[in-house]
Amino acid sequence: MHGRVKVKTTAQQEEEKRKEREKKLKVYVAARDACFSKRKDGVFDDEALQLTQQLLSANPDFATLWNYRREILTHLETVKDEDEAQKIYEAELSFLESCLKVNPKSYGSWHHRGWVSARLPRSNWARELSLCDRCLSLDDRNFHCWDYRRMVVKMSSVPVKQELEFTDRLIGSNFSNYSSWHYRSTLLPLLHPGSPEPPPSRCGGDPPHSCSPPSPQTHFHRVCEEQLLKEYELVQNAFFTDPNDQSAWFYYRWLLGRAEREEMISCAYVSREQERVAVTFSRPVNAQSGSLLLVLDGQPQRVEWRSVHPHFKHSPVWISDLPPGTISDIANEHNLTVHWTEKHTHRDCALYTGRSESWCRDTATDLELFRSELSVEKTSVLQSELQSVNQLQELEPLNKWCLLTIILLMRALDPLGYEKETLAHFQTLKEVDSMRSAYYSDLCSKFMIENTILKMEYAEVRVFSISDRNLTTLCHLDQLLLVTHINLSSNQLRRLPPQFAMLQCLEVVEADNNSIENLEGVYHLPKLEEVSLKNNKISTLADLQPLASCPKLRRLDLRGNPVTQTANVESELAELLPSVADLLL
Amino acid sequence: MGTAQLKDVIIKPDAPSSLLLDKHADYIAAYGSKKDDYEYTLSEYLRMSGIYWGLTVMDLMGQLHRMNRQEIVDFIKACQHECGGISASIGHDPHLLYTLSAVQILCLYDSLDAIDVDKVVEYVKGLQQEDGSFAGDKWGEIDTRFSFCAVATLALLGKMDTINVDRAVEFVLSCMNFDGGFGCRPGSESHAGQIYCCTGFLSLTGQLHQLNADLLGWWLCERQLPSGGLNGRPEKLPDVCYSWWVLASLKIIGRIHWIDKAKLQRFILACQDEETGGFADRPGDMVDPFHTLFGVAGLSLLGDEAIKPVNPVLCMPEDVLQRVGLQPDLLS
Repeated sequence: MHGRVKVKTTAQQEEEKRKEREKKLKVYVAARDACFSKRKDGVFDDEALQLTQQLLSANPDFATLWNYRREILTHLETVKDEDEAQKIYEAELSFLESCLKVNPKSYGSWHHRGWVSARLPRSNWARELSLCDRCLSLDDRNFHCWDYRRMVVKMSSVPVKQELEFTDRLIGSNFSNYSSWHYRSTLLPLLHPGSPEPPPSRCGGDPPHSCSPPSPQTHFHRVCEEQLLKEYELVQNAFFTDPNDQSAWFYYRWLLGRAEREEMISCAYVSREQERVAVTFSRPVNAQSGSLLLVLDGQPQRVEWRSVHPHFKHSPVWISDLPPGTISDIANEHNLTVHWTEKHTHRDCALYTGRSESWCRDTATDLELFRSELSVEKTSVLQSELQSVNQLQELEPLNKWCLLTIILLMRALDPLGYEKETLAHFQTLKEVDSMRSAYYSDLCSKFMIENTILKMEYAEVRVFSISDRNLTTLCHLDQLLLVTHINLSSNQLRRLPPQFAMLQCLEVVEADNNSIENLEGVYHLPKLEEVSLKNNKISTLADLQPLASCPKLRRLDLRGNPVTQTANVESELAELLPSVADLLL
Repeated sequence: MGTAQLKDVIIKPDAPSSLLLDKHADYIAAYGSKKDDYEYTLSEYLRMSGIYWGLTVMDLMGQLHRMNRQEIVDFIKACQHECGGISASIGHDPHLLYTLSAVQILCLYDSLDAIDVDKVVEYVKGLQQEDGSFAGDKWGEIDTRFSFCAVATLALLGKMDTINVDRAVEFVLSCMNFDGGFGCRPGSESHAGQIYCCTGFLSLTGQLHQLNADLLGWWLCERQLPSGGLNGRPEKLPDVCYSWWVLASLKIIGRIHWIDKAKLQRFILACQDEETGGFADRPGDMVDPFHTLFGVAGLSLLGDEAIKPVNPVLCMPEDVLQRVGLQPDLLS
């Protein structure tokens, strides 16, 4: 089905081919029917083995025949002694090897081989490993073989160190080695674990040994730093030897990534006026499962939690309304605690007299929000790597991997300090790799938003302003719970997505000169008073529907939007948004 | 050592550049009648999926009426075994792959009552393992493809609560790799086909937030080669079926705009065979129903208005799923 070139032939050649195929078909159908008939009659003899062998040699994907063969072998095992069974299974392995030579990518063949290997009275895993070595030397991207190898390694307890050395050899001698780097990513955390803590359990209350091993994507930081730094060197050698070897660049990006954040409640916010509590988690959760507990002045409260938008069953931000009158008197001081019972963590928040609102945030996240903590040694290593990759980039100006990696290194070292260079490199990237310019625009937007958040943190203000930055997307909105004023003007945004509803403290939105046509996220924002959307792409009244959920909205600027040309737009809007006294069309 | 050569194809200037829907409909309509063909017979082991591919592409082109509904429904009936599972063809053994295809076909035809649905559910449930994974059949092969087949089957039947969904999710997540992608089993290399199955699985189980969408989206958009076509993993040739596996995955995680749409469209159209109708894996190769479906479905995802909207999770026309009442989550 794959890779079969269409070849043009003459009428005579066509006829000859047709006759040949007709003959082949007859033979095949006869064998198939004979097989099915024997199986139906419950026959498990040599002839059945012969027939299935004949058919599977030509068509190893005919799964039912492998099933039949297993039935035959299982039956034979019951009537033969151990030595005879050993011989039969070894013959089977021999047959399988010839099948795999012809088609090394048949799921059926590999699965059957695994089944046979496990049933051998006297197993020979060393031979199986050697088969894998040979198969991978012909095609080191054959994932069937890699998976089979992993099974063999597990069954025969091959040391991780040995397998790591195997990847060293492969990587050192070959280019198409994404599979080897991938294998390394799974071996490293096993051999060089970083943190001494047990992996966070995903298995509920089950004992640790029954958990599946932590996946490398989330637990790479469990590779100790010493090994990590060695790994940087290894990868660097690879991409310096061949700057077009993608696998090394992919692997390097992984090495530069940040550790997964600790699971916690990162922020708790309370407002007397709204009589409401808002909570931000370090990742999206479903707080309706009963794992979130609110305690006010020592008393557990019966409250219901809701996510910021009906779209989200899982959300980083959750809201609950307190019983009316409980905190409204500004003369009273209150102490709130939010417990995330599932993770045995909580956050306290003190609401003082005279204060209309209060919050408590995790301070550690301020600095390491977007990148991992860097030791002195790691910093110096990354700095020298940045220098090297910069040099490489001068030699290979059209190599997009270099450009992207330089950006990632700068992000890891000093996101704010390298902002200008980062923007310049993104510009070049979009020219050099124009197919992915939308990706680079979104990634650049993400980094600019991160920088704005960092600046906002340092300035300790609640104003988030990022205009004229070619923003194509919004992200990290879960970090903006406390923001009162947001300015997104003169960018390339197409919408204010549902996640925008996480900005629960928002009073003013400025988003002029974008391409906004969707306002889904301007939804139940209790403090929102002013919205400016001049020169956008809002075209229908339906687009403005979400605004009706914001009770305090009093000023709305829609000048320069197609919707202003709608018939009776003023009266329609007066009906849709009665609280808006100040409407600009 | 030399440098790595970028594997790709070159699209000839005379390659097809417009969509030949009528030719494709004719190709598929005639395909079933090739019962005396060697290739056709050799592929009997996947016949149920073959029928699903043919019917789905016909429905997407508005041509489902040209297929023989009664014959197919009767065929499916004959393929349901005592254990509840469904086989690819008569006389073959049941398997999750063909159980899903059969259920998908019956949904297209609104004829789920042709089979014993409770038995199907029992069969699927019985294949879930201790660690949450699913075997393809009683012979025990484990693969995340089967996790997808299981939940997709049950979702179409409205019976997802019969399995241990949390465990199933745990297993799939344990297959997440350093690059944000997924493989067949824990430790397996990322592959676009498996990624489609796992993102589809996470959509159906409401767990898309567990993905690293930015990282995975990057890996997926890097599948696009200079020819505009998509490959299934690094350093491989482009193939039109990846226009589905990769594109649908990107759609599910809300990052389909990271692909150069015009270039991909050009590649997909170039995979058509102007003579016979149908799509091949790459320009100039032999066509088959598998690549025809995924070429057309890919074009649908790219917004081609001549084709019905296709659902990225189940690869079925959206209007069919609306009738079934199934609207899987997508990230925005």
